[in-house]
Amino acid sequence: MAEHIADQSHMMMHHRAPARTLVAKYVSLLLVTALLIIVLFPLFVIVLNSFKTETEYTNDGPLSMPNHISLDNIRAVWERLDYTIKLRNSLFISSITAVVGVLLSLFNAFALGIGRIKGRLFFLIFFAIAITLPQEALAYPLYYMFKEVGLYDSRWSIIIIFSVLHSAFGTYLLSSVFSAFPMELMEAAVIDGCNKLQLLFRIVVPISWPSLSVLFVFFFIWTWNEFFLPLIFLVSNANQTVPLAVSMFQGQRGAAATFQSTAALLGVLPCLIFFILFQRTLAKGIVAGSIK
Amino acid sequence: MRTKLLKLVSLALAITLIVAISGTSAQPRAYAQDRVFKLWYYEPADSAMGIAWQNAVEQFKVMHPDVTVEFEEKVFEQIQETGMMILNSDEVPDVMEINKGNATAGLYASSGLLTDLSQVAEERGWLDILSPSILTTCRYNENGIMGSGNLYGVTTYGEFVMVYYNKDMFEEYGIAVPTTFEEFEAVADAFVEAGIVPLTLGAGDIWPATHNFYELVLYKADRDLISNFQFLTGDVDFHGEAFTFGAEKLAEEVEKGYYGDSSTGVIYADSNAAFVQGIPPMNLTGSWAFGGFISQITDFDWGIFIMPGKQFNTGSGGNLWVVPENAKNKDLAYDFIDLTLGTESQTLMANAGGIPINADLTQIEDPKILELNAAFASIVENDGIAFYPDWPVPGFMDVLGGGLQELIDGNLSPEEFLDSLDEAYNDYKSSLE
Amino acid sequence: MSYKRSRGYAVFLIPGVLAFLLIVIVPFAANIGISFTKWKGVGTPEWIGFDNYEKAFHDELFWASFQNNMQLLIAMTVIPTILGLLLAVFLYDNITHHFGQRATSVFRAGFYLPQIMPLVVAAIVWRWIYQPNWGILNWLLDAVGLEQYQRNWLGDGDLALKSIMGMMVWFQLGYPLVIFMAALQRVDPQLYEAASIDGASWIQKVTRITVPLIRPEIYVVILTTAIHAMKVFAPIYVMSRGTRRATIVAARFSYKNFFEVPQVGYGATIATLLTSIIILLTAVFMFIQTRQERRENQ
Repeated sequence: MAEHIADQSHMMMHHRAPARTLVAKYVSLLLVTALLIIVLFPLFVIVLNSFKTETEYTNDGPLSMPNHISLDNIRAVWERLDYTIKLRNSLFISSITAVVGVLLSLFNAFALGIGRIKGRLFFLIFFAIAITLPQEALAYPLYYMFKEVGLYDSRWSIIIIFSVLHSAFGTYLLSSVFSAFPMELMEAAVIDGCNKLQLLFRIVVPISWPSLSVLFVFFFIWTWNEFFLPLIFLVSNANQTVPLAVSMFQGQRGAAATFQSTAALLGVLPCLIFFILFQRTLAKGIVAGSIK
Repeated sequence: MRTKLLKLVSLALAITLIVAISGTSAQPRAYAQDRVFKLWYYEPADSAMGIAWQNAVEQFKVMHPDVTVEFEEKVFEQIQETGMMILNSDEVPDVMEINKGNATAGLYASSGLLTDLSQVAEERGWLDILSPSILTTCRYNENGIMGSGNLYGVTTYGEFVMVYYNKDMFEEYGIAVPTTFEEFEAVADAFVEAGIVPLTLGAGDIWPATHNFYELVLYKADRDLISNFQFLTGDVDFHGEAFTFGAEKLAEEVEKGYYGDSSTGVIYADSNAAFVQGIPPMNLTGSWAFGGFISQITDFDWGIFIMPGKQFNTGSGGNLWVVPENAKNKDLAYDFIDLTLGTESQTLMANAGGIPINADLTQIEDPKILELNAAFASIVENDGIAFYPDWPVPGFMDVLGGGLQELIDGNLSPEEFLDSLDEAYNDYKSSLE
Repeated sequence: MSYKRSRGYAVFLIPGVLAFLLIVIVPFAANIGISFTKWKGVGTPEWIGFDNYEKAFHDELFWASFQNNMQLLIAMTVIPTILGLLLAVFLYDNITHHFGQRATSVFRAGFYLPQIMPLVVAAIVWRWIYQPNWGILNWLLDAVGLEQYQRNWLGDGDLALKSIMGMMVWFQLGYPLVIFMAALQRVDPQLYEAASIDGASWIQKVTRITVPLIRPEIYVVILTTAIHAMKVFAPIYVMSRGTRRATIVAARFSYKNFFEVPQVGYGATIATLLTSIIILLTAVFMFIQTRQERRENQ
């Protein structure tokens, strides 16, 4: 339905003379492609340098093509970083955080957006405080708290912290989406005798699934890329995540540029793959979330 | 709807699979009666120290066959930034590497987080191996200032700053190794005239330029000034002869083109890479780069010289082994430190391009390495160890290194730069009283 | 009607509120408490009252850092929002119209890509781009004959922040783009048609029709990116490595005091001041937004 309206809108905006359209057509494509190349260029550079040997880099610089594709870097860095374990940790932490974060956001937004509790603005601001706080402010207090309950140097500390922090954004987004929720469906269900919990999981969740998926994707990626709090709470190498591992080569004096590059590549790839897999979901979710 | 469900299910399966394969978070796999020895350091595995210490680990395993050794190569940043938090918890290793200096080792020591090693050192004869100037960075008093007080750390190597030079380029331009400061300036001038940038400098990172600066300061310094400066035991005049010479001379050098016109945009790694490529004839940096140069420089002949014509040199004992107060197996820690100080590991370190303090120098064949160690030995003999300029005050590197970046860029005059040093230094000093 | 709606929903807030109190409110309160002390991070804090606050008000570097945050506001909020909006409309109209939905999706994914990289990674690459001797930017300038514009992009105090700003625009662009492109689906095409007949230009259509209609999304984008700009830490930390006046931001300054000096009490003061400013701005912003929503729903 949305696509149909979209098509019509395009037709409406452009019923001009065909010749001009043809030129405009390719010029616009060219412009946007150029912009895209500029945006993607850094990624290309990383890939390029991950397959070079160190001597090649030192002699020819970062923009040269590698003489032959060398997988040595990748193998060496993978082992040195103990990458399998970091990957596992990042996956574990990011996925669980995303799920818990979405659930928390869902519950909060259910109460605020659909339930329309009194003092709704107050709660929104209350939750928004999490978005405004710089993480450094939380570091020491949380450190002492988690140490007390034995969660220092544990992946669960990160999961708990970021589920809560991300749910602030999720609450904010979902409650605006929910404030325009079709109440007729709710009222019909209430008449049918549904309790609140059933309302939530049988009506609200299925309809807002696209928005929930968007949140899941966002939370997963954001948690994956976190560096600062994991630096503090994930002490043992066996608990550490990919971004922490990538910074291994920054070292006290810095290390081989090609190693840095390979580490960077390994740091980006998982998220890239995840994003490509879920890109459709992201698009649909944001669309559906915006339709009022 | 079905594809969405399918995707969700497959994602859940994938996650479960991965989690299942991997098990739970870190737990030592030893049996209850076996002991676990935890060791952390951040020197890279292919560095001289890394090689020597891995050897020590092997020796340790032979010495203690019933102990499981858990070694972790750490991210330097994590230890440097969150070291306090780690040492204040139970998640500490039995022995770990930390940076020497008031800002790290001193801070931890004065907070009661490190074991006092004074007695152990005497019992095991470490004090015979470590010379007094090396020991300076191993001792810290109750204010966290080095030089006096209990022994909290043990170092196994030395480091110092020197000039690496491209012998081929020197020959090509008919230039001899300078023996005085004036000759050094003449060498640099000659290169500038020939259209070559004489010295590479990675001032894009905050610390490299501090070495260039301090080396100049040391031309006009005496032991009293250095001690007062480093140990905060007396008044330091930042507008006195030594520091003024350092700042003004550096500004002059920048103006004369000794470092090119974009050194603040080059990071340290790239600066060294340029030297390896044979672009600049000289590179003023530390002994930690030596091993890398040996393995990477293949196109030209190269050598080293200390900045000539002065007694003092930037340098010190290396990073420290410390035993956290909360460590569980301190005796094992002491055994390990013993092994890293032993001649076997130390000689290995030397042959890998490091500067050991207890090696059998007759076992070293590479003339370059002998030269390196000889240079360090001569500095120590002449009581020339002057440490590093950012050490005295926590956070000083920001003012010092950051200020130097501005000085090089021409945004700060030498006078203003020295003012900022004065302020930061004396602010901290008065806060101790 | 609203009274009936709000019954029984409050219970759903309990897990969120509890978790929040524990992870956010209590630590924040602790942070405020710490800001009145002198503390190294371990051992006992020493109470010093308002001394830290006094110090902050006279601290030049602190205020310099805020100025830099303001500049980053331009790079992280103003430019990405405007550029993102124009690009979204452009992609939505021209590209989809001429080349189909698939092409648009590819472009959108591409522009969003910087957002999914860990900043550590992005910083490594951008340092290469800005390298003065063999970096890509200077190399390109040379290649097209514009060598006189070659600069010491990250080293030169005047340029450093602007160079980082450039990187932040690259980084932020995808976020508003994705959100705006979704919002555009909502715009009724008939409005555009009517405007065309009246002779409206493309820009006029965008500003008079599109912008008012997707105002809610514009609000969200402006608020979230502005908060991010005030809090920004990682790119400065990785790109400039020190705390030079030219590039320091408030969060970097508080980090320095928390972990590098360490003067945890002073760091907490900076963090508290920073947070208070942000909370104030957010509250005002949200108040305006909610009032507008209420007006529209009537």
